[in-house]
Amino acid sequence: MIAVLGLALGVVVGFFARPVIPHELEPYLPIAVVAALDAVFGGLRALLDGIFDDKVFVVSFLSNVVVAALIVFLGDKLGVGAQLSTGVVVVLGIRIFSNAAAIRRHVFRA
Amino acid sequence: MTPKPTPGPARQAQYRRPDASMSLLINIMDHSLDEGYAEATARRAVRGQGTALSRAPGARLVVMLGVGLIAAVVTMAAIQVRIAAPQAEKERRDLIARIHTRETTADQLEKEVAALRDQVDAMQDKNLTPDEIERVNLLALLTGADPVEGPGLKVVVDDAAQSDGADGANKDPRAAEDLANGRVLDRDLQRVVDGLWQAGAEAIGINGQRLTALSAIRAAGASILVDNRPLSPPYTILAIGNGKKMQVAFQDSSDGRYLHALSERYGIRATFATQKSIKLPAAIGIQLRAAQPAGAPPAPAQSAGPTQAPGPSGTPQTGTVSPTPTSGAPATPGSKAPATPRNSTSPPKNGKSATGAATAHPSNNAAARDSAPTPEEGLA
Repeated sequence: MIAVLGLALGVVVGFFARPVIPHELEPYLPIAVVAALDAVFGGLRALLDGIFDDKVFVVSFLSNVVVAALIVFLGDKLGVGAQLSTGVVVVLGIRIFSNAAAIRRHVFRA
Repeated sequence: MTPKPTPGPARQAQYRRPDASMSLLINIMDHSLDEGYAEATARRAVRGQGTALSRAPGARLVVMLGVGLIAAVVTMAAIQVRIAAPQAEKERRDLIARIHTRETTADQLEKEVAALRDQVDAMQDKNLTPDEIERVNLLALLTGADPVEGPGLKVVVDDAAQSDGADGANKDPRAAEDLANGRVLDRDLQRVVDGLWQAGAEAIGINGQRLTALSAIRAAGASILVDNRPLSPPYTILAIGNGKKMQVAFQDSSDGRYLHALSERYGIRATFATQKSIKLPAAIGIQLRAAQPAGAPPAPAQSAGPTQAPGPSGTPQTGTVSPTPTSGAPATPGSKAPATPRNSTSPPKNGKSATGAATAHPSNNAAARDSAPTPEEGLA
């Protein structure tokens, strides 16, 4: 219930604030989205496992975003930004998939 | 001596997992859930608390904020993607619109030039003797400064049939080379035009573009440019002259045989048709490059003649204003007069215009053509 409220609030804020994302930050947006999805699936799985923790949820999301952005930033400076963002997406993608599989096992018992 | 059981590490080595070498992948797969959740639960169990969500309203607030933040990020990204796409499209449309405006402006300026040229012609006619008018008219015809009309030959050259769909998306890469071979190239058109000049054409136009001694036929990417204006196939080459004679002469020439070979080997289509009446427009962008003062020659009435000559030697007393270099000039009766363009001293038959070739673009192959047009009855 409270999560749905937060979701609606976030969508509304994101939609109406029409944030002008600075040009330098644009490459990090996809990374942030993938990190956010990772946090969502991780939190959902933890909830179903009965071990959800609010602080861990928020902190893990923020730290994932920051670390992913840092890696991509460093990669950009070193000239391998594209490869490193691929690496970040692969790692987070694997996590998302295995978390989603765990959720699926919880929900469908299959 | 009974064998002692081997110590721990070695035993473990015996039962190594078969996928042990892929520890990184296993690590990612096994620890997909943040370990913080398990640790937090363990801490709570020690302190004897319930689950996190059953705690104070502060926890609910944190969860709400976290979910809200994530939703905001995802929404922002979605909006960003949606905004960026139409923006690129808008920029493209802006550019296209700008190109169109510039083209319209250029067309307008060309019209203006034509009008002014008419004015100059009228003033010339008023101030020149009939003899000189005739000469100027002849020069204007040969240089392409005036529109012409007369019987002639129509040659249509087109890409090979199968290359029609060359721009389509369902291109077979293996057929790409065939398509490229079946396409009319700039040098093909150059040879056709050269052959027509040699066959006695007096004026030639391609797709409505009049050719002059300085016209360039060249390629830019996949399209052919004539005087920097892109053409699209089929290429209709209109040549004024004795149609039948020209056709025979052209097809017997090496250029004619070249075209024939092209159609034999690559399927390039070429058709010939004699025409009773062909209209060719004046060439655009003719510039006056050389003019001589009318002091010495016996033309006393000319000092008040048209003086809008911005030529290199453009003294205010310019007499006969004749558009520049004409490779065909040697054959004209005007060559005996002192006021003809300088290049009329070049030998006939080898009409490489001295002034023309020097100022022309390097790839201006058409300017170096052999041409010896003779004034025939065809000119209107």
